[in-house]
Amino acid sequence: MVLDEKDNRSPWEKIGDYFSANSVWMKWYCTGCGAIEMPPTMTSRFDMERLGMGPMATPRQADVLLITGYLSTKTLRRVIYSYEQMNSPRYVVGFGSCTVNGGIYYDSYATINRLDMYLPVDLYIAGCMPRPEAIMNGFAKLIDMIKKGEARGWRHYQENYEWYKKNQLDSLGEVIIKDEFHE
Amino acid sequence: MNSMNSMISDIKAALSPLETSEPAFRQIAAVVKPDGIHGALAYLKNKGFTQLCILTCIDWIEDSQFELVYILFSWTDGIHIQLRARIDREKPFFTTVTDIFPGARYYEREVHEFFGVEFCGNEDLYKPLFLELWDDIPPLRKDFDPQAYSDSKFPMRENANEFLSMTGGGDDE
Ligand code: SF4
Repeated sequence: MVLDEKDNRSPWEKIGDYFSANSVWMKWYCTGCGAIEMPPTMTSRFDMERLGMGPMATPRQADVLLITGYLSTKTLRRVIYSYEQMNSPRYVVGFGSCTVNGGIYYDSYATINRLDMYLPVDLYIAGCMPRPEAIMNGFAKLIDMIKKGEARGWRHYQENYEWYKKNQLDSLGEVIIKDEFHE
Repeated sequence: MNSMNSMISDIKAALSPLETSEPAFRQIAAVVKPDGIHGALAYLKNKGFTQLCILTCIDWIEDSQFELVYILFSWTDGIHIQLRARIDREKPFFTTVTDIFPGARYYEREVHEFFGVEFCGNEDLYKPLFLELWDDIPPLRKDFDPQAYSDSKFPMRENANEFLSMTGGGDDE
């Protein structure tokens, strides 16, 4: 991310960022293959709770949304729903090459190629799939970015809402979910 | 193995399949005429093949045919049976088998979505199952070009730094 940008947060925002960086609750959207890397990251071997991170049940209570792999258009609609339910400040982490550029599904009719066209990604963790070591590294980096006020994706989403909405509509046709379970 | 052999001869006698084979251990494959599928499924269900494992489809575009594949399993004998029948690709209509296997309702919706085969009698057929708001020919037909569809809908990343300048939000990029 842009490291040498001026820090123009107010003192209160700095304090807020300091505290949120020390207690990061995450909602992970287990799409693609990446969900399988989360149990070792959570449990005793790597134990992400020592970073102050933990899983959370609903998007409304979470700070971070983890997208753990490829997203089909159908899933992306639900992810956008989840993201828009979250409270600011909110952060998005994209796992694996599928979220970066489509990965091995670059030519699929069902999956998107670039997650950051639709949601403001603060951090990508590369790999197919990233190992728990890489995920831990990424989380440490994310916490550092939150502390320094560099994870500003949520603000970018607010300020460029039309741009994101336009991309979402171009690729998805419609973001509103109308399936037989939402009738 | 005896039960296998007697099963095969039973099937040959009862269904008069066009062709039978044993693709693997305790598996039987039989090709029948399309109008023989319902009779065959009802007969096999009575013989203990109570589970419809899957209904799927193959696009034989050069023969201009779709091949429907029904795979059944018998929990009493531990045998799989695969029933296949070819229908016309230009007029892809078939009758639902939900009166024999009610669970086929979802498999038929899936085959309809991905291959465009219409199953007359299945009320849910036109409800979207996997593909929401699909706007092209059914995607598992061989003449569908996934790369072209992906290119038209889902932009690729042009250079590696695009992401940095975008969410960095900074003008000093
Ligand atoms: S990046 Fe690799 S491991 Fe991750 S979802 Fe894509 S294909 Fe699966």
